[in-house]
Amino acid sequence: MKTSSQNLVASLTRREALYGIGTGLGSLAFSSMLRAEQRTPQGIHHPAKAKRCIFLMMEGGPSHIDTFDPKPELAKRHLQKFNRSGDRESAMSSGERYFVKSPFDFIKAGKCGADVSAEWKHLKERVDDMCFYRGCQVESVNHPTACYHVNTGNRFGGDPAVGAWVTYGLGSLNDNLPGFVVLPRNSYPQGGASNWSNGFLPADHQGTPLRPEGSPILDLHAPAGMTRQDQRHNLDLLAKLNGKHFKARPHQGELDARMSSYELAYRMQMEVPGILDLKGETEKTKEAYGIGNPKTDSFGRKCLLARRLVEKGVRFVQAYAGNWDSHDYIAKAHGSLIRSVDKPIAALLGDLKERGLLEDTLVVWCGEFGRTPDNGIRGGGTSYGRDHNPKAMTMWFAGGGTKAGHTIGATDEIGAEAVECVHHIRDVHVTWLNLLGLDDNQLTYYHAGRHKQLSQFGGKVIQELIA
Amino acid sequence: MNFLRNPYGLKKLGCFSIIVSIIHGMNTLLRIVTCLALCPAAFSLLAKKPTVGEKLFALKVKPLLARKCMACHGDDPKKIKGDFDMRTRESMLRGGGTYEEEVLTPGKGEESFLYILSTRMEEDMEMPPKEADKLTKEQTWWIRDWINEGAPWPSDEQVALIQEKYAEGEQVVTSKALSEAWQKRRYETKKLWAYRPLELEKIPSGKNPIDWFVGKELKEAGVEPAPDASPRELYRRLSFGLTGLPPDPKAAAEFEIEFSKANTAVSKHAQKLMATPHYGEHFARHWLDVARYADSAGFANDYARPNAWRYRDYVVRAFNQDKPYNQFVKEQVAGDEMEPVNPERLVATGFLRMGPWEQTGMSVFKETRQMWLDDVTDSVGQTFLAHAMQCAKCHDHKFDPVPTRDYYGMMAVFSTTQFAERKAPFLASESKHGFAGFRSLTQSKIAGYERQKKELAQKIARLKKAETGNAKVGDNGLDPGDEASQSRIFKNLIRHRLELDRVQPVTHSVFTGKTVAMKNVQGRLNMPENRWAKGYLDPDVIYTGGNVYSHGDAVVPAALSAAESLGGMEPRPFPAGRGKRRLALANWIADEKNPLTARVMVNRIWSWHFGRGIAGNPNNFGGTGELPTHPALLDYLADWFMRNGWSVKKLNALILSSETYRRSSRHPDPESLQEKDPKGVLYASFLPRRLVAEEIRDAMLYVSGEFNPKVGGIPARPDVNPEVAFQPRQIMGGTASVYEPDPLPGQRNRRTLYAEKIRGLRDPFMETFNQPVPDDSCELRQTSTVAPQALTLLNAEEVQDRALAFAARLFKEATQEPAAIRRAFQLALGRSATPDEVTACIARWKAATKAEKAKKPVPKTYSKKIKRTVMAEKTGEPYDFWEFLPAYDTYQPDLQRSEVDARTRGLAHVCLVIFNLNEFSYLD
Repeated sequence: MKTSSQNLVASLTRREALYGIGTGLGSLAFSSMLRAEQRTPQGIHHPAKAKRCIFLMMEGGPSHIDTFDPKPELAKRHLQKFNRSGDRESAMSSGERYFVKSPFDFIKAGKCGADVSAEWKHLKERVDDMCFYRGCQVESVNHPTACYHVNTGNRFGGDPAVGAWVTYGLGSLNDNLPGFVVLPRNSYPQGGASNWSNGFLPADHQGTPLRPEGSPILDLHAPAGMTRQDQRHNLDLLAKLNGKHFKARPHQGELDARMSSYELAYRMQMEVPGILDLKGETEKTKEAYGIGNPKTDSFGRKCLLARRLVEKGVRFVQAYAGNWDSHDYIAKAHGSLIRSVDKPIAALLGDLKERGLLEDTLVVWCGEFGRTPDNGIRGGGTSYGRDHNPKAMTMWFAGGGTKAGHTIGATDEIGAEAVECVHHIRDVHVTWLNLLGLDDNQLTYYHAGRHKQLSQFGGKVIQELIA
Repeated sequence: MNFLRNPYGLKKLGCFSIIVSIIHGMNTLLRIVTCLALCPAAFSLLAKKPTVGEKLFALKVKPLLARKCMACHGDDPKKIKGDFDMRTRESMLRGGGTYEEEVLTPGKGEESFLYILSTRMEEDMEMPPKEADKLTKEQTWWIRDWINEGAPWPSDEQVALIQEKYAEGEQVVTSKALSEAWQKRRYETKKLWAYRPLELEKIPSGKNPIDWFVGKELKEAGVEPAPDASPRELYRRLSFGLTGLPPDPKAAAEFEIEFSKANTAVSKHAQKLMATPHYGEHFARHWLDVARYADSAGFANDYARPNAWRYRDYVVRAFNQDKPYNQFVKEQVAGDEMEPVNPERLVATGFLRMGPWEQTGMSVFKETRQMWLDDVTDSVGQTFLAHAMQCAKCHDHKFDPVPTRDYYGMMAVFSTTQFAERKAPFLASESKHGFAGFRSLTQSKIAGYERQKKELAQKIARLKKAETGNAKVGDNGLDPGDEASQSRIFKNLIRHRLELDRVQPVTHSVFTGKTVAMKNVQGRLNMPENRWAKGYLDPDVIYTGGNVYSHGDAVVPAALSAAESLGGMEPRPFPAGRGKRRLALANWIADEKNPLTARVMVNRIWSWHFGRGIAGNPNNFGGTGELPTHPALLDYLADWFMRNGWSVKKLNALILSSETYRRSSRHPDPESLQEKDPKGVLYASFLPRRLVAEEIRDAMLYVSGEFNPKVGGIPARPDVNPEVAFQPRQIMGGTASVYEPDPLPGQRNRRTLYAEKIRGLRDPFMETFNQPVPDDSCELRQTSTVAPQALTLLNAEEVQDRALAFAARLFKEATQEPAAIRRAFQLALGRSATPDEVTACIARWKAATKAEKAKKPVPKTYSKKIKRTVMAEKTGEPYDFWEFLPAYDTYQPDLQRSEVDARTRGLAHVCLVIFNLNEFSYLD
């Protein structure tokens, strides 16, 4: 018995040395909590304009026509018959169709005179920090494939998400946090967690979703009836028995790594809740983000958390809002969605700027596609919504070296198709990496017989977007 | 000119053997003509012997430039980057925008920027720009030396002649390439290994072939192999290796005694294990990783594939019955064309539809049809031929002798293949267990939705009013969720009704006929009465650049032309039109002369036993895959496999009877081994491995005594993390129903193989332990070590439940403390506990019991309905709704903490620790 406890002490001491348990060494590597071995990042390829990124993913496909790309022509054609034909005709574009005008008024905002729908009561104050882009096109008309395309560069999923590529390239700024954090809605998007997958990249580049309800990380907490004390004792017995097994297999490194991962998991249970706790924020800040107001609380928390996370050194935060899939009642649906994100986003941009973070934080706002200028008659009636449109959308950027106060590219007079500065989403991806100091052509990973990259087969930097 | 002074090992005069292609019309019918002498007329064109510079240009520099530079500097004369045109010597001398005439200064290689940029010394001007394309040092020297030789530029004609005469490497006869240069491309001889006929080495009689070949390499490297593993390690290896389950302690004890007498005990016990149905289950799991088995279709609707399970069970049966592999291949590719009324054959073709696929009202049919054609072409290529066909979809393959024509030829095999849920009566060997229960549960779910639908319709009728404005904006008196619920209920009714097909005698299959465009596929697809009446024939053409809207040359159904030419297969044209195209392909794949098929399967089986293939990429035998470490062994085994009736069980027996398989995972001299075998490819010791996700769960169930060993049948629904089960999941038109586990423990606690595999709702336990996503073929499981695995094994409810049941079992079987602990080690680790371990575990047990005495666990309660909150698409506002959970009407939880005493709960802590041990998850 005595020998056993001596062994126990010995094995704990080794652990203490490694992980600072009980020595008050303070915070321990969170990223290494998630992975057992440290990996050296690839490093930047050219000087970076942005060091980190916040990606506001407007899942469902917000309508450019009702947010940032006014089409007065539609008011003239309102309810007139619309015809679409060609190879790519799908069931969505068949049947009787009619033009739909935007229910919203538009204003010229800021010094730059950017077009915004008047619904953006807060964000309109921030347009001089924003760069609107109307030239992007995607390929897919279905949500999951289009989401995969925007998130991973590949329509069919299974590839690494942008955030995974970025952390693979740049590593973490702070060893206490994971490099790529996702703030999903309580309901997961179509296509699910593959939207923030590490794909074929090593597992530690997977987006870590912090769930908005319940346990932020699955099984983070011990189940009812299991105290922390119980757990400590169990881990001590585990370490003892594992230690003996490992001693006979000293060359099997993964056994040691696995032993470490248990101590790391144990610490993670303490650290994670602190990251999510907004207690340290002032009432004024919380109010600014719309926290406490049921309309804006959910996305407000995500935006504030995003700021806290990047401030602490997270490379890439993706926050989801939606669902913007307004096939019907666009006035009501988009109106309410805009209200739910307007104040939080405006606060986020203001807050980042005030803290001097906007300069080297790239903020990206987009959906998986834009929407059509027309709608189909469904169920025998009209309900003034819009269908999916891969040929035109608005995305915007702020900070991180993008051209503030500019609107780049244009769509045709009805907003059906991008016609100026037109680029495939792959070029947006290449530009995105470029701003972060990464060259898409060099940021590759050998998998299944070829060097894979975010853009799939290479693309161009959209210089117009860069300051 | 002295050809012998040759810095790059260019082929010497006279020693060449070129294969010249003769292509018959549009077909891929190939003849191989080995031409050992070139016709004298061709020689005379080379008026004088080429200079070193000319040869360097023709053999090295020109092909290099074509591969690495011309995409931006000449292929498309309208888009020439940096104003630098590399098509002619003159344009090269003129140079580009940046370096002008300094790009190429004949005679001055070191100073020419063509060379400098290729070395990547000039920042921001590295050429080629892609890091992945960068030139090797040797390649940059070719450029330098060619410039030093005066940068000669022989005519295309001369280049062709020089190449013909002096090129090293080998040309390969293939069907016609898109470009002539590709057609004439040469391949490193060693990278063509997989296309050549098997090369059989004789081995001394009485020797185990595996030990013979492995032993030769070991001897050559001067490495002494590790001794045999201990009997208990070996039996655990056998048990998991053949059945995916922990050893039965009794059988293990028997083995230990017999093995100490003779190592033939391994073969005997291997036979016993292969005779259990769990063998087929375990090997099916391997195969289904490659085939990408799932019970749902993925994407926006993620509809159930209600009959997919019959394919899963077909695979289990095939391995258990030791179906000859050539037959197994043929049935999966063309079972319906072989015997259209044999249910077994129809079920087998489910393989062709395993990839994710859907056609919604929003998709363009032509594109989704193409998506499947691409998917099936690639998956047949990877699965049976270890060729990622997708690489040749848009251009001739960059590394392998696979022209784009071969891709579309193979695709043409499937262009008359159509989806259908075909009638296929259940076989006596198929399990119909649980049909009634499943049907009634699903009907309850449907009834719940029907009720809500009716109530909602009444509510809407009552409240809905005409809208006020001229535009309908949802100003209609309804609550935000009303219309959303209508669509959600509508969609979920479709989903659950579709699930009812699970118990119908139909199968997820295909037929041969015309293509009929479909708008929105959300249910069973029936066979047309006349399969050639309606619809159209997909064009058998090359889609230029992979674009389905851009038709190129016509093609005929065919397969890999390089395998035919290099492998010496009899050319046998495939039928086109209404012919049985797939049957022709199936026969082609299963042909004993096919150089790939047997090698591919033998390599897979090897990798399932040893944790890595003889060729390192079981799905990729092309030039980018790892070369075989023991090619002669691979060939020997491939031949042996065919000579032994393509029997997987016999091959297993042969492998397991080797010393190589028996070796300890711990080498007595690891330092010297590391030095002599740094890549660890000599099999001097056995490669230890972590159990895969399914094995970890199954092993816990097995040792806790909860394991239900029933074989086959409709998917089981085990408990999954409740937060994930209840997590709203968006599908097209709303939110999918909650994941409801099966009501009874026996239903839930089945082998993980039988757990319903839903593409859009992965079991987080499986995901955490590296179960691959079923969208891409998985050649071999990966293992990562991350902290969420520890969180799962420490905290997850399912693991806690297993630990508690394990404790209760131990307590029942052995009430004495030391006996209980010893039994725990026997069951979970397949060995006796040491006195130290017994002491430490008892101490923990006692302390935990004391702590447990102070706790008053309450029984868990389960709600029969749940309130969920999601966003309404139409209004952009959140809304709540109730969902009925009929599974919880009769749900019986697993053993609960409240049902056992403090001592059992105390022991459960020890059991939990055992489940978390490295030893539990790792095999020696």
